[in-house]
Amino acid sequence: MTTVTGEAPADRGGVLGQPLDSREDPQLLRGEATYVADIDLPGTAHMAILGSPVAHARILSIETKAAEQLPGVLKVATAADFADVMPLPCIWIPGGVESHFPPHPYGLPGARPVLTGDTVRHVGDPIAVVVAETPRQAAAALAAIAVEYEPLPVVTRADEALADGAPQLHEAVPGNLNAYWTCGDKDRTDAAIAAAEVTVELDLVNQRTINSPIEPRGAVGDYDPATGEYTLYASTQGPHNHRFLLAALVLGIPFNKLRVIAPTVGGSFGTKGYLYPDMPLVLLLSKALGRPVKWVDTRTGLMNSTVQGRDHRQHVTLAGTRDGRITAVRCTSYANLGAYPSTIGPGVATALMGRSISGMYDIDAAFCEVYAAFTNTVSLGAQRGSGRAEAAFLMERLVDRYASEIGMDPAAVRRKNLVPKEKFPYDNGLGWTYDSGNYQLNFDKAIELSGYADMSARKAEARTRGKRLGVGIATYVAICGVGPSTRMSQEGMLGGTWESANIRVHPTGEVTVTVGSASTGQSHGTVFAQVAADELGIDPETVQVHEGDTQKAPYGQGTYGSRSYSMAAPAVALTARKLKAKLVRAGAVFLGVPEDKVVYEGGAIHEEGNPENTKTFAELAMAMWYGWGLPPEIEPALDETTHFDPPDFNYPFGTHVAVVEIDELTGETEVVAYTAVDDAGNIGNPKIVQGQIEGSIVHGLGQALLEVAEYDENGRLVSADLGHYALPRAADVPFFALDKTVTPSPHNPLGAKGAGEIATVPPAAAVVNAVVDALSDLGVRHIDMPLTPEKVWRRLRGESQ
Amino acid sequence: MDITLNVNGRPEQFSAQPNELLVERLRDGLGLTGTKVGCDTGQCGSCVVRLDGRSVKSCLVLTASAAGGEIATIEGVTTRGGELSGLQEALRQEHGTQCGFCTPGMVMALGELVDATADGPAPTEPEIREWLTGNLCRCTGYHSVVRGVQRACAAHRDEVPAGSAASTAAAPEV
Repeated sequence: MTTVTGEAPADRGGVLGQPLDSREDPQLLRGEATYVADIDLPGTAHMAILGSPVAHARILSIETKAAEQLPGVLKVATAADFADVMPLPCIWIPGGVESHFPPHPYGLPGARPVLTGDTVRHVGDPIAVVVAETPRQAAAALAAIAVEYEPLPVVTRADEALADGAPQLHEAVPGNLNAYWTCGDKDRTDAAIAAAEVTVELDLVNQRTINSPIEPRGAVGDYDPATGEYTLYASTQGPHNHRFLLAALVLGIPFNKLRVIAPTVGGSFGTKGYLYPDMPLVLLLSKALGRPVKWVDTRTGLMNSTVQGRDHRQHVTLAGTRDGRITAVRCTSYANLGAYPSTIGPGVATALMGRSISGMYDIDAAFCEVYAAFTNTVSLGAQRGSGRAEAAFLMERLVDRYASEIGMDPAAVRRKNLVPKEKFPYDNGLGWTYDSGNYQLNFDKAIELSGYADMSARKAEARTRGKRLGVGIATYVAICGVGPSTRMSQEGMLGGTWESANIRVHPTGEVTVTVGSASTGQSHGTVFAQVAADELGIDPETVQVHEGDTQKAPYGQGTYGSRSYSMAAPAVALTARKLKAKLVRAGAVFLGVPEDKVVYEGGAIHEEGNPENTKTFAELAMAMWYGWGLPPEIEPALDETTHFDPPDFNYPFGTHVAVVEIDELTGETEVVAYTAVDDAGNIGNPKIVQGQIEGSIVHGLGQALLEVAEYDENGRLVSADLGHYALPRAADVPFFALDKTVTPSPHNPLGAKGAGEIATVPPAAAVVNAVVDALSDLGVRHIDMPLTPEKVWRRLRGESQ
Repeated sequence: MDITLNVNGRPEQFSAQPNELLVERLRDGLGLTGTKVGCDTGQCGSCVVRLDGRSVKSCLVLTASAAGGEIATIEGVTTRGGELSGLQEALRQEHGTQCGFCTPGMVMALGELVDATADGPAPTEPEIREWLTGNLCRCTGYHSVVRGVQRACAAHRDEVPAGSAASTAAAPEV
């Protein structure tokens, strides 16, 4: 493994950093890309899953005979058919485990079985599967499976699940408590709060939301009896991870007998990195039936099965001086993990949130405690900006409360407390060491760009139109670049978190880059080609990028947490440097000069001081393919791989400003202006990053204004389709004002920081701050999201929350 | 029942169940998988095709009710690997797609808008946004799509696109 520090490249005028058009786009625009649902292997049979219609019950009996006799039905299976299959493991144990060697996640309490046989724990909990000739026949047969349930009491809130007498989900988890997790200094924080001139407190609900990639998940299993090899096609953001989890931990089959292929994946935002029952099921049923087995989820199925996000209930406290200096922050959070520990959900709910709560501020004392509990809801997992968005929300709401309490401008309070530039690397006291930043520059740029100074006049003008205008600021730091494997093991991650790249130079001089990561729509093929071309000094058009097939790609962990550009791209760059170094060594032979006289420049080598004595990249590629005349210490061919494990995380940050107008008659909130200044270090392709930032902001606005996964008292997800779960639409948002600052990270050779999802972190806080600002003269101090017109209308009329 | 459809200029004759959805015929029956299914309730717009020129959600149309109709799907916009249409090219230049799953439906729905306004003034930004409300996208936040439509309309009129990344303060280089 390689670690490189402190090298932040200057602008070399190469293709890296240029807004090249995405080379993936034409295929997508022509509708030619193949997603899982488009795969049609000869002889495919179709699987449907029977999910529980009730949230909590004992299964008394399952009768499948009638279903088995329906037309086209090939197989009906229940938990009894999969008794040898291990439960789906959780590989992020909050706070770590005693020893990570050997890592062994078997037997973790509460793990989800492939199918449940005795108890259902949420609506949608898989009980049985049908495989039939057509999807319609499979779906129809589900209705003929008779299941007798003995209802059990239901709990859907984390805080209520922890109360005495609450319904119990897992015998092995008394009290439903998965983890009590803390970070920071409790005594110091309690003392600072007790001694403070001013304290403010809030009770916050960071509501559960549903990621909602437009492509539902799907899986195709194909077992080849001739070779004994399984192939899984799945909508996955981490094919290698899924291979590892399935082969080693669930199915217990040889690693080299399982191939996982991610075709084009239609968005993910965190959800498609998780292990789901359908994945082992299609493989096992393909073997049993001797045919490929395909499963494609429905939207309602997705909403009752695919991991959901956020869902914290928090009591938060901030302490400070009368003149605006923050002295302490404290958070007690009840995190709702759902019915089973998802692949990494418990880590999302604890470390990613808790260690991030102090944000961009230099605070002397901070403490966070999280009670992570099981409830009768869909399992919790990552969601675009996961953990970090929940942290930014609580901190930025607190800062506004504090500013209001001491009668100071919210921008002035923030500016006064930003971590100063000279304090980096900065230990935030909660477990993160921020790598680099110039927060003042970033903050000032956003405030200026937003026209913050003119807001009083704009508020007065809006009132003449029956509108209340409000402005809200939110800053954030988003840990990215997950990550350094040893550091992640201390967080309880069971598995490496490095990333990899291979570069193969073909004899005619074209190049293939293969990475372990896997795109879910981030134009990896464009950006990684830019990285390789920039390093090698060649035309990016001669570089092809491949990923997503475990049989072809070097081991890697996938895309999550905005990691690909600061984890996989550095692996590409380091691999290109290995190739350059080899070409310099070999070039000494080809040029007939000592190695220290060989200069690699502009995609060619030449003799120092004698540019006439030169070989082009294509000439070198062919010469290395022939291998003639190479000394024994230089291998022929050009084919190198790097596994990149960074020395530490990276920490992008930014400042967003939302301006809203509230209609006094209807309570409707409209975002009329939105400014975002983000710092993602050095950027590989600004056009692609701009698209990701715009999409991320809209996702965050969705949580603020529209989205909530609503469970009724029986544990039924009421918002289980897109008619009841409101995603932002094009008419809900204005164009944004975007800008950037650039503070390279010292933790990778590109100076890169995470970018893809970081702009989802602050919008919810910015919008709620803006709405509370607009209503502050009515005594409104907080409104829970989503800020529906009805909720706001009631507050306009003086009703309390 | 026996049904005849004209799909992308080709006559298709087949027998279908009365409850068959048009999207099932296109994807499973005719192998035209460029049309996507993203939801079960007609909300997402990934399955939009054009029926007799109008954009429709093919998950909400029974095959039988489309009988005799002219269907255009994404596969009919250009050939495989072929030159992009003006709208597709404009969307490419504005990076109006990320994961691409909603994109074919967007192209088909927006194609009707571009066609319908071809002889008059270009649609305004609010008009484009309103037109797009039948199509959900989770990746882009719609901005690059809106700019793409503006660019396509401007190119058709030989103008500088009003809202393109190159010309608006709303979208400076990030």
